[in-house]
Amino acid sequence: MNRTDIRPGLPPTEQLKGYRIWDAYFTPAHSHPGSDGSSSLMADIERSLPAVRKGQFERLCYFPHVGTGTTGDAAWEELARSVPDVILKPLERWPQLLLGMIQLNPNNVPASLDALNRWLRDGPMLGVYFPGAGPGALTCTHRNFNRLIERIKTLNGVVVQHTWLKTGGKQGAGESTPSELAELASRFPEQKFVCAHAGGEWEQGIRAIRDTSNILIETSGFDATAGFIEMAIRDLGPNRIIFGSHLPSRSLGTELGKIIGAEIPEADRKLILGENFRELLKPILKQTGE
Amino acid sequence: MLTRRDILTWTMTAGVTSAAMPTWPRSALEVAAGLPIVDTNISLFRWPFRRLPFDTPNLLVQKLRSLGIVQGWAASFEGILHRDISGVNQRLAEVCRAWAELVPIGSINPAVPGWEKDLHRCISEYNMPGVRLYPSYHGYTLDDPRFVRLLQHAAQAGRFIQIAVAMEDQRTQNTLLRVSDVDPGPLIKLMPGIENARVQILNHNLRPDLLQQLGTTPGVFFDTARVEGTDGIPRLVNNVASERVLFGSHAPFLIPEASLIRVHESDKLDEASLVRVLSDNAALLLAEK
Repeated sequence: MNRTDIRPGLPPTEQLKGYRIWDAYFTPAHSHPGSDGSSSLMADIERSLPAVRKGQFERLCYFPHVGTGTTGDAAWEELARSVPDVILKPLERWPQLLLGMIQLNPNNVPASLDALNRWLRDGPMLGVYFPGAGPGALTCTHRNFNRLIERIKTLNGVVVQHTWLKTGGKQGAGESTPSELAELASRFPEQKFVCAHAGGEWEQGIRAIRDTSNILIETSGFDATAGFIEMAIRDLGPNRIIFGSHLPSRSLGTELGKIIGAEIPEADRKLILGENFRELLKPILKQTGE
Repeated sequence: MLTRRDILTWTMTAGVTSAAMPTWPRSALEVAAGLPIVDTNISLFRWPFRRLPFDTPNLLVQKLRSLGIVQGWAASFEGILHRDISGVNQRLAEVCRAWAELVPIGSINPAVPGWEKDLHRCISEYNMPGVRLYPSYHGYTLDDPRFVRLLQHAAQAGRFIQIAVAMEDQRTQNTLLRVSDVDPGPLIKLMPGIENARVQILNHNLRPDLLQQLGTTPGVFFDTARVEGTDGIPRLVNNVASERVLFGSHAPFLIPEASLIRVHESDKLDEASLVRVLSDNAALLLAEK
């Protein structure tokens, strides 16, 4: 026996390849890419690669800051605006592996609209991410979201909203819950929304978005609690669930384990691990020619 | 001392006694052939707040087998909220007798009268190698004199203590039953003064500074169930030494694949460390009874 033989818990490599895993929630240096521009981001991607290879991931979607004020670091924000190439570094280095959705700041609508033109309309980004903490956080029922969602809709972009429903209440004023996302999504029935983390406390999170059919849940960001995927499939159906890894701050074990350890049909596992996300991205990928 | 060969032999025998059970459908899962994995952190019966996919002993044992886990140190979820701890431990011991893979770990609540007798029964009547504590749910801290006495008693009897510093993320707890994570800090002063005391900290995600202090405290061990980050387990091993880290999944509350994959996913642990964490360290702790 050698080290490479010791891989308990994982399906065989060929089975993993067969899932065609597309990760919808890759979070290298999620809150700040590094004061020099991107060093922390690049280092975190490198740090994730052993798990990415072990999991046989095909693609991973991360959420770059683009200078709309989401880092809280004025010097970095200025750098991002004046030298936008710094934002493209990971995509240039790993073009076959990475996909990107920009972090937007709904507290600054004009800057966010500019960013949508620069990065979605002109490419190469595929959607937006609204954070749940930090200077870019704003509860998603706020009216500032309306203009942004309208614009994203015309660009065929995907909307990912961070959500958590915490016992004891919100930790920050800008956090959003699944119920609040359901309220926003009901205003834009033609737009698809991703409820990142399924609200964390998923028993209520799933129920909160159950009747809002343009919302999908993303599976990362909380412990590998048993029964989550089974309930999600029962209440939402297998087409409204997309896999996220939250690497490297969370683990392949926790996040992939939720899906491969669930008592569900293999066909549903395939949908969750890649097919549903590819379907969600289809309009904008078609637009970009991929 | 119990060797890996002993565990393997013993488990193969156990497999014969359970041959009539339904076979697990996920047979395609790879297991680490020849490495008898020991899960030091599982629980039986019902989680108080929802049904879990593997909350019957039959299904849980089948699941463990499908993953190559040959032994599970099983406490009882009933030990968290029930006050009739004697009944909790009796039911646990009876069920574990039927499954060779299950090693019963009694629950003790030093905040209820007569806990000394519960401990005595766990040791003398059920021959349990250790007991599990839920200090936050039972309302005491680790500098409480009752805990100190319990630790002394267990050490004198050659039994280890498992401390569940959490059972679930505080952010998802039931609104009417919110408890803080246990602070294991008092163990740093306590452990050196109690000869043969052995404590395993379960479900932890500790601050690096506290982890380093505990990692040099004699008799302190750790599980892997809630250690997060793609390289979280190698960092834990580096901080506290691989001899102190024992695989634990917190199944069936958590999906056992999660903790299993996490041990090896970063490719940072060498073979010897992997074998220690997944198997040998547990055998050693059990053998020191």
